[in-house]
Amino acid sequence: MVALVGPRRFGAVNWRGLATLCLKDLRRAIKQYRYSILGPVVSNLLLLTVFTLAFGRATAVVGGLDFLQFLVPGLVIFSICERAYETSSESLLFDKMEGMIADTLMAPLTPIELTIGYACSAAATGLITGVAVAVPMLAFVHLPFASLRLIVFFAVAGALLHGLIGIIVGLWAERWDHHAAALTFLVIPFAFLSGTFYSIQSLPAVGEQLARLNPVFYVIDGFRAGCTGHADGSTTIGMVVVVVVLLLLAALAHRLFRIGYKIKP
Amino acid sequence: MNRTVANDPALPPATLAPAPRRIGAVNWLGLWTLYLKEVRRFVKVATQTVLAPLITTLLYLAIFVLAVGGAVHTVGDVPFPVFLAPGLIMMAMVQNAFANSSSSIMISKIQGNIVDVLMPPLSAGELTCGFALGGVTRGAVVGAVMWGVMRLILPLDVHSLFFVLFHAVAASLMLALLGIIGGIWAEKFDQMAAVTNFVITPLSFLSGTFYSVGALPRFWYFVAHVDPFFYMIDGFRYGFTGHADGSLAAGLIVLTVVNILLWALAHALFARGYKLKA
Repeated sequence: MVALVGPRRFGAVNWRGLATLCLKDLRRAIKQYRYSILGPVVSNLLLLTVFTLAFGRATAVVGGLDFLQFLVPGLVIFSICERAYETSSESLLFDKMEGMIADTLMAPLTPIELTIGYACSAAATGLITGVAVAVPMLAFVHLPFASLRLIVFFAVAGALLHGLIGIIVGLWAERWDHHAAALTFLVIPFAFLSGTFYSIQSLPAVGEQLARLNPVFYVIDGFRAGCTGHADGSTTIGMVVVVVVLLLLAALAHRLFRIGYKIKP
Repeated sequence: MNRTVANDPALPPATLAPAPRRIGAVNWLGLWTLYLKEVRRFVKVATQTVLAPLITTLLYLAIFVLAVGGAVHTVGDVPFPVFLAPGLIMMAMVQNAFANSSSSIMISKIQGNIVDVLMPPLSAGELTCGFALGGVTRGAVVGAVMWGVMRLILPLDVHSLFFVLFHAVAASLMLALLGIIGGIWAEKFDQMAAVTNFVITPLSFLSGTFYSVGALPRFWYFVAHVDPFFYMIDGFRYGFTGHADGSLAAGLIVLTVVNILLWALAHALFARGYKLKA
């Protein structure tokens, strides 16, 4: 009697498929390390240099921190978020344009698994880039690392948040300019105007109120609070806002995968 | 003797096969067509090529004024935002001039349609000229739009029109030529990204866009003065503010010489068909 090879049995969650999907994007990012990791390291060191030189000898103090201590956490969390966004959106868009998205859709992965897989691999790539950006900077700037709990929470939450935005943009975009437009007109302005480089207390009153409505502000502020102990806003409110937005975006990404928005006929 | 269209006595001479177009020393029609192709290419995606740099530059202006403005009010006797604005305009112009020629050539190479440019009767000089002027045009359009928008929020009047125009054209031309050379050399997108990330952006960031090189330590002060990027930003800024960190005459000479050398190199690469022809 010939033993037939049966279909693989798995329970409620296809763990192997999920792990494979996660590793796929992570490996892709590591393979292109010059672009995905070294690029951000160099451009952030440049920004650090430029800001230091632009200040000259003027020693500005933001909330008891010297300016570089204030700036470095902003640059690190921004590079985490940007890389997470680009990882998931570029992966989905590239696969769509090349027709390879079928390889992901054909596999026995539920919409929940797709959402988790893309979001987690994007977040992991973002965090690796963040570490690579942070390490050389720590040679120049002393950070007290006030709360490891806040650092980890806001780094992971910020990375997941942008990984989910990347999924939504990657599904929506049909050409590379759509993806670039979302980065230029949405992701970068949200981050730059939310206290990456300056304390929102230096904004006019209206700007400060607007910044407090922006979830990305809480990500940056909370991460900075973890690194330096100084927060412009409340980290508790920040955690609540970020978790709520994460759940909303996850629900939206899940729904898009479930209806096959722009990926299934 | 075979009957052909050319020698058929039954056909009037008017239907003879058209003679090849006669071209003088310069193929003006071909050059103009290549130039139009380069310009239409970026105009078609103006959101990405004009609007996006504008937004990014305004963001840089906002964050630098908000972050640094509190500590640094003036550079020399120029208010910090007015010092910063010409540097940002110049940075956007040169990055776009570079992106135009480099992406055009590299994408054509990767997609194989570079033959459409190599097959027509265009000499190496005409190719260099067409691609370079396309890049200069994009730089100029980006710069003009930015100046128009920044004038609404800053007192950014022209102090010396000659220095503004000379440095705008010379800098865009220099980067468009570098873009040609980079585009011919690069074989993959990440090589091009590496040139942009590790060469073009650092040079434009570190050459006095955001600060006066007078504030630099001695060694870097010296480096800035042999860096053509420094002269193009400095001279362009002088055109607006009347304040220059370096020598204007040295800037005119350096930029002219560098442009001639780069033009010669780009011309030589096209003439040899380096990485373009078998």
